[in-house]
Amino acid sequence: MGDTLITVIVIILAAVLLFIFPLMTMSDRTDDISQLTVETAVTEFVDDIRTTGKLTMDKYSKLVETLATTGNSYDVEMQLQVLDENPGKKTTQAESTKIGENVYYTMYTSQILDTINPSSGTTKTLALKEGDMFSVSVRNSNTTLSQQLKSFLYSVTGNDAYVIAAEHGGIVTANGSGN
Amino acid sequence: MKLQHLIVIFIIIILPISLVLTSYVQNQVQTLQLQISYDTKLTNATYDALKAFQLNTVNSSTSDLANSKIRDIEAAVNTFFNSVATNFNMVGYNQDILKDYVPAIVFTMYDGYYIYSPFENKLTSDDYTTSSTYKNGEIVTSLKPYIFYSCRYVTSDIDVVITYSLDNYITVQGTINGDAVYKYGYLLDNIEGDYNPDTNSNSIRYRGIPIQSETLTEYIDVDSNGNYISTNYTKVNGVKYYLDKGSDASSTSDDRWYSRINDQVHYQGINYKTNNDSAIRYYDEAKDFTAWVKTNLGDLRVSDAVFENGQATKQFENEDGTTVIQSLAQREQWGNQRIFESDNNTSIEDPDSNFNQHRLQVIRYSIEKNLSIAIANYNTYDGGNSNNFLMPELQEDEWEQILNNVSIISFLQGLNIGGKVYNGYSIVTNTKTEEVVNNDSIYIVTSEGQYHRATDTDLVGNNNITRSIF
Repeated sequence: MGDTLITVIVIILAAVLLFIFPLMTMSDRTDDISQLTVETAVTEFVDDIRTTGKLTMDKYSKLVETLATTGNSYDVEMQLQVLDENPGKKTTQAESTKIGENVYYTMYTSQILDTINPSSGTTKTLALKEGDMFSVSVRNSNTTLSQQLKSFLYSVTGNDAYVIAAEHGGIVTANGSGN
Repeated sequence: MKLQHLIVIFIIIILPISLVLTSYVQNQVQTLQLQISYDTKLTNATYDALKAFQLNTVNSSTSDLANSKIRDIEAAVNTFFNSVATNFNMVGYNQDILKDYVPAIVFTMYDGYYIYSPFENKLTSDDYTTSSTYKNGEIVTSLKPYIFYSCRYVTSDIDVVITYSLDNYITVQGTINGDAVYKYGYLLDNIEGDYNPDTNSNSIRYRGIPIQSETLTEYIDVDSNGNYISTNYTKVNGVKYYLDKGSDASSTSDDRWYSRINDQVHYQGINYKTNNDSAIRYYDEAKDFTAWVKTNLGDLRVSDAVFENGQATKQFENEDGTTVIQSLAQREQWGNQRIFESDNNTSIEDPDSNFNQHRLQVIRYSIEKNLSIAIANYNTYDGGNSNNFLMPELQEDEWEQILNNVSIISFLQGLNIGGKVYNGYSIVTNTKTEEVVNNDSIYIVTSEGQYHRATDTDLVGNNNITRSIF
């Protein structure tokens, strides 16, 4: 009787140690690699837009494609803070923090996508200007294998359960209109 | 063997592997994160340098003079090093130490560029005195002389150097049929008509649109009823001069021009013109210059380009060790089209025209060649204490940025980022500049007050501008 019980426990332990443990470590590494890819892609995307001042559907699709190569699905959130059309900086030396001027209004992902979505074959460019601020935040929306295994062992629940995430942002350094 | 033993052995094997793998991958992630953050910091430092350059040039009336520009660029370089020191947590390190990590900084301008990099000072011992700043052969890190975007062309009767710029302005220097020439101007097709400033007869049309003079007015005062008075003004050398019509508004005899400096009115002894004809002159001069270029250099081909020393060909060694003799155009795979003529019905200002294609090729070749020389020299000059730095290959879209704007390219290398050494570069373009007015920034104003970009493809036709009454 005692032997049988021990055998059962050993078999369960063996299953966990021989299969689930290696699987968990490997899927953890996969997530790490995905994290690498995602971080690089997001930084490149944001820095490209910051230095050229132009946001196009091409660039966005390229980001989404790169993210998709990791095998997960992602929520991409973009936020663009546009310096008001009438900034207080009339000259480069003037006080830029003057109250009442230099108002930022914000565009979010759906508004940005509406603006750059090509209609009837013509590509549209969202031209940013020097002083605007652009940031992107990406997190995985599916449950990765390592998350599934973990929740099988110890449950991690909630909407904000993500393991792959990257954020990058900064001030736009070039005017995107014209060339 | 019992199952338990198997498990124990398995764990003994797998656990260390798993641990090592975990820490290795984590290391890689950290290195990459550091690299990304360094890239961003470098971009920020370059942006700071650009901002310093903007501040100094935009507010300075002498920024177009070479001396002043060099001073402004050196100030921008200082800002760059300060910013690098702050961003990279190397506060306290000065330029002398940090410059070992910076192989080159390139400042591209309207018709050429500066490279900031180490070079060997050349001062013959005869010229050396105790008060000389540098000795002969001393390694100095500073701005190298200005390099123009120029290329030399030699045919049987032409030997000229053409200097290109970021737009369609070119300078031609050399000899054509034995005569010395020095000509410069804008290249523009599609201009018809003539302008005679003496008789004031103007029939200049650009892409079919009549170009007219304009009278500049500004509201600076109110009359007794509180209505704004429109005042004529003109802008000369950056100063606005206003017209005081005097007591009799209808006669011009008591007209006086004045400027306002520090809220004080300064009357001038000169009478300026109220009629601004610079737009007409721009097109008129461009038309004459383009006609001259087409007559004299119309047959000039890309394959006529020669190396700087005037030699048409150079020997190159192939990868398999065989020697080939190639001309500059063959070497760079530039083709053989005529530079100033269009083969496919495009006009010169078209981005796809032979001229624009070749112009970009020349600019790119010039920057690439001189930058790689500067970086190769950096490896020789740094005393061998850093690893060999190779010039990174810039992407096509990055070239696009460089070739269309005044910009700063900075390189940074040799910083340890755990696991490997950081090698990075950053390009920041200057879109707020006094150096160049882009073609796209030239607008045509119609009498309705509508602005049309002169390069718009649907400017003519499509009932776009034809609707306007001039």
